[in-house]
Amino acid sequence: MRNRRDITKYCIDALLKAGIPKAQCILRDSSKDELNAEKGEISLLRTTNDTSLSLTGMIDDKRGSVSINRTDAESIDKAVREVLELAESSKPDSANDISEMQPSEEFQKGPGEPDLDLMYDRITAFLDYSRHTYPTLILEQVILDFVSKRSFFLNSNGVDFESRHGFYGFMAMFTAKEGKESSSFNYSGFSAGSLDRELYEYGSMDMLMRKSTEQIRTSHFPGKIVGDMIITPDCLDEFLSAVAMYLSDHSLITGTSIYKDSLNELIADPQLTLHSRPVSDEIASGYFFTGDGFKAENSTIIENGVLKTFLLGLYGAHKTGKPKAVNSGGAYMIDAGKHSLDEMIESVEKGILMCRISGGNPSENGDFSGVAKNSYYIENGEIMYPIKETMISSNLGKVLKNIRRISSERIDFGNEILPWVQIGDITISGK
Amino acid sequence: MIPKELGRYSDLFSDYTELRVQENRSNSIVVVNGDVMSNSKSSSSGVSARTYRNGVWGFVSAPEITDDTIKKVIASATRNAKFLDSREKRGGKPLPVTLASGVKDYSTSLPRKSQKELIEFMREIDSRIVDMFGGISARTTWLRLLDMEKSLLTSDGSSAYSMTPRSIILISLTMERDGEPIELFDAYGGFGQYEDVFATPDSLFEQMDRQYEHLRRKVEGIYPEAGVKDCILDAHLAGILAHEAIGHTTEADFVRGGSIAGHYLHQEVASPLITLVDFAHMALGKLCPVPVFIDDEGTQAEDAVIIDKGVLKQFMHNKETANLFHTKPTGNARAFSFNDEPLIRMRNTAILPGESKLEEMIASVKDGYYLMKPSNGQADSTSEFMFGVVQGYEIRNGKRGKALRDTTISGVAFDMLKTVTAVSDDMKWTCSGTCGKKQPIPVGMGGPAIKCKVNIGGK
Repeated sequence: MRNRRDITKYCIDALLKAGIPKAQCILRDSSKDELNAEKGEISLLRTTNDTSLSLTGMIDDKRGSVSINRTDAESIDKAVREVLELAESSKPDSANDISEMQPSEEFQKGPGEPDLDLMYDRITAFLDYSRHTYPTLILEQVILDFVSKRSFFLNSNGVDFESRHGFYGFMAMFTAKEGKESSSFNYSGFSAGSLDRELYEYGSMDMLMRKSTEQIRTSHFPGKIVGDMIITPDCLDEFLSAVAMYLSDHSLITGTSIYKDSLNELIADPQLTLHSRPVSDEIASGYFFTGDGFKAENSTIIENGVLKTFLLGLYGAHKTGKPKAVNSGGAYMIDAGKHSLDEMIESVEKGILMCRISGGNPSENGDFSGVAKNSYYIENGEIMYPIKETMISSNLGKVLKNIRRISSERIDFGNEILPWVQIGDITISGK
Repeated sequence: MIPKELGRYSDLFSDYTELRVQENRSNSIVVVNGDVMSNSKSSSSGVSARTYRNGVWGFVSAPEITDDTIKKVIASATRNAKFLDSREKRGGKPLPVTLASGVKDYSTSLPRKSQKELIEFMREIDSRIVDMFGGISARTTWLRLLDMEKSLLTSDGSSAYSMTPRSIILISLTMERDGEPIELFDAYGGFGQYEDVFATPDSLFEQMDRQYEHLRRKVEGIYPEAGVKDCILDAHLAGILAHEAIGHTTEADFVRGGSIAGHYLHQEVASPLITLVDFAHMALGKLCPVPVFIDDEGTQAEDAVIIDKGVLKQFMHNKETANLFHTKPTGNARAFSFNDEPLIRMRNTAILPGESKLEEMIASVKDGYYLMKPSNGQADSTSEFMFGVVQGYEIRNGKRGKALRDTTISGVAFDMLKTVTAVSDDMKWTCSGTCGKKQPIPVGMGGPAIKCKVNIGGK
């Protein structure tokens, strides 16, 4: 079976024939062309092709799933038998279900093929730029890739989606070094539909590379204070991931989420509006349908500080009795605020510019702490110096409520668009 | 099942080439508050070739394992290397030649359990939590099985077949205090297939009882006083320290990237009580949690003694960094999936036991903390580290006191290890660790308890 749509149809038919009344099949073909550089030199051209065929079946509310990366009839027939065994072995749970019928749709985004010569030229130019502009910077690892995905979703309720998606991705990890002194490592990246400009011009790349060269000599944060923290767009992603965890299936099903009773309640300062926009034209990566078979839509998670949706899938929604989300999260965008970054820094009496956090996972109650990396001490409205061995601690719920300002400037990473966010009442302690 | 022998393809190699056929098989059962939330199996298999030419690499992978695909993958990897070579003209030296061969199959000899039996096992664990542990407000049990089966052939003539399994159960228990959830998780199992690791549910009961008792005390626990304190880091924290804060800084690719360890070779970096080794497969006469006999470049894996009695002795290498550092490869090149290239990865990183008794070490602390379990950890190229601590106790006048709520420890590892004044005479492995560095990979982390000064977070 060479035709990919025929394969998914064969899978659904085989699952039904095996006596599985609710069946779902996702077939994904992916290819990646990846250029790697180590220590500022191109080192590897990697080309990978893979297939993933995921079959899910439900019998009498009992669920089983099998994923393989073969598409020949013998492998599929074996996988169908395994789905049957897994589902029959499980325990009934009325929350198990597949998505209801929706109109069939095909989606397409981004280029179909990489421009390998352009990729080579761009990464070479990036390495040259770094070498000449930031001679103290060591590019430990640089990866430029192009990912092409073709996906099919079919289920026994007649849902039939197909998507083709191609985009470039870039990541650079670097350390600045002079003699025996060095900065902490830092990294950034982006996604893009084309490579129409130099790599250092995307996202926050050039700014972070420059800042690393300032961070070779660091000083201790003075004492222990409760003060302000301005989170950079690169660092903000860590906080958003933690918020998303409290809004997702596991936290809400176990009832441990700090937001379990907060739908339509004020959970953040009214300045904060957070979207998840996986099908936005502004997002190069993203997705078109969810893993449980719903066409993805853009959503607003927090509007003017009010929680408007959880990030529950079909199972989680059934299990908790709360509404299902229209997407699976990610592709986050925060609306720009009214203050310039300079105004935000000027407003800080004592605090830090938090550029990267090395932190533990937050506790179930939202408490977290971490070390401020690649970060700066701010005093009387001025950035004083880069800091070392500085710990911050707070509670995630309080962080959202203690937002003081959001910047008018935002960074477009291609997979997220985020501003700087100023938070009050953070415990900051030096050594 | 993948082909165990690839010798017939050796004629297709023109430059230095590694050919690897691999299948990863996993099984996951998640039971949340008694409901089977996940019940899934997956397998991912395919072939890859990596070719070296004058200082640059080409890598290609495909999911089919047929003669035709293997030939195409070798030809395409060679083409990728030629493409880069034609542009870069690096003129790199040939790689060191290593020759090794062997078969290590750790498949169970016991009859395989059905999925129904595995689910029943997990539900029995869940039932015990309900029946025996009062006050639990949320519970999650997760069975995670992984078999990694690899065949390797290199143009040097190395050939290897391995089947390396791992079987883990993670249990998370939550209780409430004034409506606020307090969680403690623990990992059970380790190296081996399910049948060899988990005989019966009651084999877990003793450890589960201890986990519950620690959680009960944690609910009544306190936050530690912030600052630099005398601490006893138990084995699991010593293990993550060895891996994250020292191990990564001594991977030769990180050293090239600017790691601080690059300046410390043959210098005293720790107390003379500290010896730290990345074990290949055997440690103190026993098989390690992640045994590696031949790495994915076909090099015989050897122990890397990183710190010997406080002195930094060596880095971990693949063939390319061994060339650059004028030394031998150590067998640390490992890939997670068939479509991943081998990277320098740790295997089983541990501090070696000393001569002190744990109870005497605790008794020697007047005002400090006994820190037992980490959540996660991160470290920097400067060896500055931060670990979450989810289980621990205060020590007052040499006696264990109240339990601790979640906290963090941080510091600069090469400074902190100089403060070590005692190392216990026992050793425990953390067998459930997965390290992330472009790709995930199973690792072992181990150690005794160490007495040191460390910065603790407080609240």
